[in-house]
Amino acid sequence: MTDTVCAEMCVPPTDMLYGSPYEFLETGIEGRALFNLPFGDIVNFLTPYTAVLFIFALTFTIIALISKPERQVDTVFGGDAYYTKDIPKDTLKFQRFMAIACGLATMGGIMAGDVFNFTLFTAFIGITNLGIVAAVKNKHILDNAFEYGLLAMVGTLPLFVGAALVLATTGTLSMWVLFNSAAAVPLFAKLLLVIGVIAEGMAPVFVAKAEITRAPGAPYILMVHVSSLLIFLRVIEIVISM
Amino acid sequence: MQLTIIRRVSRILQNHNNLTAVYALVVIIVAAIGLISIAAGEITFEKDQLYPKTIDKSSPLNPYDRGGSPFEPAEIKAQYPENFPAIGYITGYLSPFATTLIKISPYFGTTIVAHPGGILDEILYATRGLDTIVETSILFIAFTTAMFLFRRDEE
Amino acid sequence: MMTGIAFAAASAATAAETAVGSLTSVTFGEIELFGLSNFTIGLIGAIICIFISFYALMREKDDLHRLLLTDLIEVIALIAIALLGTDLAEALILPGLVVGVAELTAMSEIYIVKEKLVREPESYLDIEIMHTAPAIIAVGMLIYGIILSGFTGGAVAGLGMLFYFACKGTEEKTGILEKISGYAWVMWVVAFIVFMTLPAYWFFALMLAGTGILAKVAIKISILGTMRKNDGNGGRREIGGDGND
Repeated sequence: MTDTVCAEMCVPPTDMLYGSPYEFLETGIEGRALFNLPFGDIVNFLTPYTAVLFIFALTFTIIALISKPERQVDTVFGGDAYYTKDIPKDTLKFQRFMAIACGLATMGGIMAGDVFNFTLFTAFIGITNLGIVAAVKNKHILDNAFEYGLLAMVGTLPLFVGAALVLATTGTLSMWVLFNSAAAVPLFAKLLLVIGVIAEGMAPVFVAKAEITRAPGAPYILMVHVSSLLIFLRVIEIVISM
Repeated sequence: MQLTIIRRVSRILQNHNNLTAVYALVVIIVAAIGLISIAAGEITFEKDQLYPKTIDKSSPLNPYDRGGSPFEPAEIKAQYPENFPAIGYITGYLSPFATTLIKISPYFGTTIVAHPGGILDEILYATRGLDTIVETSILFIAFTTAMFLFRRDEE
Repeated sequence: MMTGIAFAAASAATAAETAVGSLTSVTFGEIELFGLSNFTIGLIGAIICIFISFYALMREKDDLHRLLLTDLIEVIALIAIALLGTDLAEALILPGLVVGVAELTAMSEIYIVKEKLVREPESYLDIEIMHTAPAIIAVGMLIYGIILSGFTGGAVAGLGMLFYFACKGTEEKTGILEKISGYAWVMWVVAFIVFMTLPAYWFFALMLAGTGILAKVAIKISILGTMRKNDGNGGRREIGGDGND
């Protein structure tokens, strides 16, 4: 869908329509924007740095799409017997759906060219992660999913307050303006964005993760880690460039 | 047994029930930094905002009157107006029903603004439409999760 | 005006909207207190709220209470956005609100599963208003929701239908409802593509988007009403006869 929009929108009138309004940006980490994809006020883009993250997310989404889930094997202690855990078909379908949604949300977050849009995509990742782990029928894992879910809910506060502060202090949300100009984003807003992403992505939540990774259902569980790592790399880029 | 600081801290961190408490502490510390930076005068309100609010108390659309009339564009201060050539038309649009409401009473501003047309529809559907796509997707995913858990228990 | 207030109380979405409206009109004049702008004063207030609510979250041990506290915390985020006092802030509140509602829905269901609270209650709440009022309230809110259209309308209409389903019970297959809601979502995405590629057809896209979001949100919320299993030979219907006739 996005590709068709781009083909319609940004090929013919690039110079006259889209040349002037946004000065081409230099992000703090890696290079200039490769292209832009305008949706009204929200202009998405990829830099060489985020393009690498994007390809990574795309690869893992495709892996989640085509692969069959692993089956955990329990061996009986002190004997030769072992049994495999079976994953019910509806759980499998649900987890695969969530993993793909999570991959799409990660790609969206990586491409986001607007701070508020980025925070929304981050919240999206949080809720898909929650869906993936909550599908597992196990008391310990559900306990941890609940703890992580509380964190994901609370994490929307720093995210939205951070975005609101960026808008209040600079008068814009577009990264094309924020990355270029001398408009100083206060440290408080940057800190809020970072701790918001920490709560939404599961990567830093090692306590819960240790329990959750025991859950059967790789590679869908894997998507949880990939998405949170990628979105964390992205927020670092945003915060440094701002 | 005498506990070292590291052991004491890791004893708290290893318990997943303390997860939200630890995070709450982090947020409180960041909020304290925020208070300090307000005191230092680092956070100042930028007067030049997008989509500014103007209030015309005499208008029946108060507080949502942004000028324009049906099929005449209103003046809108968007980030990139050239990305949406039809800007201002949605803000100016009033359905026949809304024009009737205006004649009846001056107190239907909120009803009219939620009716098709108006500044909020312009922002939510057109200039920042991607936000709304993500937002409805979040709702969709959350409901799917809730329904999945609910149905599984029914069986 | 009276109906406006009544519905604002009923619907979270409209409540937030009117709250923003009154907030901005109150702070419209410049207030100077100790040389601080009114934005800074509001921000200090929000930070104090953050201190209080997160301290509460830190001390609270009960899972259900923590879940309720997170909902309180979501409201502070909306306050911070509302402090901007522009039309953009008003439009940003809606996504913020929806994220909170959506996560609360999913988390409540996880809580129920986690605590194994799946046993059906032995007796439902059974009061007269639940037999007489649902039809009229549902129709009224549905009509008002259709007039409002868009997300706000969807929330109002959905709440009306939720009340109806929760009181009357239903044998509808929720799968069909969900399918309709999926098509409504596609309608809205089509509208968005029209907005971005063919701006001249903005009117068509506006109507499509308004209807699509209305249908999607209304159905999603009304499905919640069907989740309380009072169909079949549930206790209430036996006591109350056949319901609304």
